[in-house]
Amino acid sequence: MPNFNIDAKKDMTYDAIVIGSGMSGGWAAKELCEGGLKTLVLERGRMVEHIKDYPTMNNESWDLELRGAIGPEDQKKHFKVARTGFVGENNKHFYANDEENPYTEVKPFLWVRAHQMGGRSLLWGKQTYRWSEIDFEANAKDGHGVDWPIRYKDLESWYTYVEKYAGISGEALGLPQLPDSHFLPPMELNCVEKEVKQRLEKEFPGRNLIIGRVAHLTVPHNGRGKCQTRNRCDRGCPFGAYFSSNAVTLPAANATGNLTMRPFSIVQSIVFDENKSRATGVKVIDSETGEMVEYHAKIIFCNASTLSTTQVLMNSTSNRFPNGLGNDSGELGHNLMDHTYRIGAMGNYDGFEDMYYKGRRPNGIYIPRYWNINEKTKSDKFVRGFGFQGGASRPGWGGGANEDGFGAEFKDSLITNPGPWEFFITGFAECLPYHDNKVTLDKNNLDKWKQPTLAIDAEYKANELALNKQIQEDAVEMLEKCGIKNIVGFDNKHEMGYGIHEMGTARMGRDPKTSVLNATNQVHDCKNVFVTDGACMTSNSCVNPSLTYMALTARAANHAMSELKKGNL
Amino acid sequence: MNRREAIRNTALLGGASLLTTSMFSILQSCKSEPRLSWQPTFLSTDQAQLISALVDTVLPKTATPGGLDMKVDIFMDTVFSKLYNEEGRKALVADMAQFDERCKGKFGKPFAEMDAAKRTEFLKTEEANSPKYNGKIWGTAVGEQKPVGFYRSMKSLMLWGYFTSEEVGLKVLNYDPVPGDYLGCIPMKDVGRVWSL
Repeated sequence: MPNFNIDAKKDMTYDAIVIGSGMSGGWAAKELCEGGLKTLVLERGRMVEHIKDYPTMNNESWDLELRGAIGPEDQKKHFKVARTGFVGENNKHFYANDEENPYTEVKPFLWVRAHQMGGRSLLWGKQTYRWSEIDFEANAKDGHGVDWPIRYKDLESWYTYVEKYAGISGEALGLPQLPDSHFLPPMELNCVEKEVKQRLEKEFPGRNLIIGRVAHLTVPHNGRGKCQTRNRCDRGCPFGAYFSSNAVTLPAANATGNLTMRPFSIVQSIVFDENKSRATGVKVIDSETGEMVEYHAKIIFCNASTLSTTQVLMNSTSNRFPNGLGNDSGELGHNLMDHTYRIGAMGNYDGFEDMYYKGRRPNGIYIPRYWNINEKTKSDKFVRGFGFQGGASRPGWGGGANEDGFGAEFKDSLITNPGPWEFFITGFAECLPYHDNKVTLDKNNLDKWKQPTLAIDAEYKANELALNKQIQEDAVEMLEKCGIKNIVGFDNKHEMGYGIHEMGTARMGRDPKTSVLNATNQVHDCKNVFVTDGACMTSNSCVNPSLTYMALTARAANHAMSELKKGNL
Repeated sequence: MNRREAIRNTALLGGASLLTTSMFSILQSCKSEPRLSWQPTFLSTDQAQLISALVDTVLPKTATPGGLDMKVDIFMDTVFSKLYNEEGRKALVADMAQFDERCKGKFGKPFAEMDAAKRTEFLKTEEANSPKYNGKIWGTAVGEQKPVGFYRSMKSLMLWGYFTSEEVGLKVLNYDPVPGDYLGCIPMKDVGRVWSL
């Protein structure tokens, strides 16, 4: 791969600027560069090059003094994300420094950030699902939020387009609530998962248990290697087997010769020209020198991640837009959503003691939504629905601490017996768009670059709590009927943010009076600014959102180039 | 993010395999003299002797290395000094003192000075009284985790130290750093031993 061009000093003017380099920013860069546009990608964090900057990818536990755990100093540095339990010695360098990037939790909200080239595309869960017509119609049908300005058919071909390039493994089912992707071969279910699948589908007609659909390659694809089931994804994959900006879209953009990347670049605001009714560029703070520089371009893509994109728009004030760019409606910052998280059930399966598996599959099972998908499945307790992730495994020595016993026989049993099969499912429920779930600029709390921070004021409400209650009831019932023993139902009562699927705050809509973006992700009344990350979402489905960001971004980027050609931008 | 992490280390409620501990005492190491051939960072000599004795009782040397061979006691001292916060260290010191007080109350001696049979007898009582860990999903306990007490938290720590040590990880367990395709349903006998990673 040729070296990346990170010299943005000699040229202050580009055809396009992309703010952010994560899941959606990488796609914007790829599409725009491949379309022939000289494109500048601005990233607030450091450079991370594929493989070269994955220093821990081959670490073993015994290579590290604390065997992968982090001590009090790092816990403090990552005190927000540490609440998830996800951060450790091998991935801490991919999480933002929470002390240096403060925000205010008006109500408890966990905001997980990853400030580097590639952003959270290095850390995501790779679960990859299309949204369905049911999702795009939801707001219009039950009256929550505003109607999506697009439907499934508007995105269908773009889903196929990004899937073919990214490489998604899974099994086609033909379910209306979970449309099939263009699939690479699925990963395999293990013995217990197969057994539970059979029982579940028999006991609960209309419910399915499938292998997770994931952005892991199960065969070599586009010059990338297939998954070797090391399950060390969050350190960066030496095979490039999972989809990330670093392994996939940014190298593709770079190969065109049209890409310039500028790390350590915090976009302070977008510059709006009142005469042209267009944005002319962005103001950037160099995070290392504190210097403010301005870059110019014909089109600007906002892909800084949901809340950071909205922060940039809020900071972009002018006479025309005194309350933030594109905020005629007053909806900028509002309608923040996430998926509810860690509600479900777990237990043991008695049997298959003589069976085991090979490999550390970075994937599990998925049970697609089955509530409120037609008249027959309509609930009188809640609108929308939820899906489950989960899986079966044997604990190995990790189960030993809970087992009774110690001494010679106990020790040797942990070496020869992987322990009882365990099975769990955990739900992810849709969250309605509420106007009063919001973020605001906090001008009294400035960050180290003297910029206003965000205050996040959002919570789950009655519909989400009713969904969560149903998740736990259903989870326990399904496990009971599938022969699972020692069942424990659970609800960790996590606040918003734990799903790490924050969406909304600059929503798409049909009416500029009630939305920030139009049907092609353009800011109303400032048509050369596009928002295609999670901020643009009008509702949030119950399935993982990344694939939809990819498809929306590719669609909007191609629309932008077509409009440019026509002279409309 | 790595919710995505292996569920490998999940410790499930009620998932205990049935192990009878009656024959353990005869298999115990006969060593009952305290030994301390290393310099602790955090622990006092007495405390280090207690931790070493615990490690040797829970993970004795057999055909496979013992916990002391893998320096699990030294690892635990490192964890106490570098991973625990001040509050955790204070609680640990109190726990160790109470543990030995109970031991003295029953047998007239601190744990480290007892013979293998008495250590076993005492630990069985401690174990019977210790709460268990909640199940975990993607690295985090489900539900509200109540304190598991000194015995079980030490047991958890020493298993972690032992099974992630280099010799055990490479040679005792089944080490396969780059497995290739996931095979979901294969006979245990073809694998032989528990996977290392």
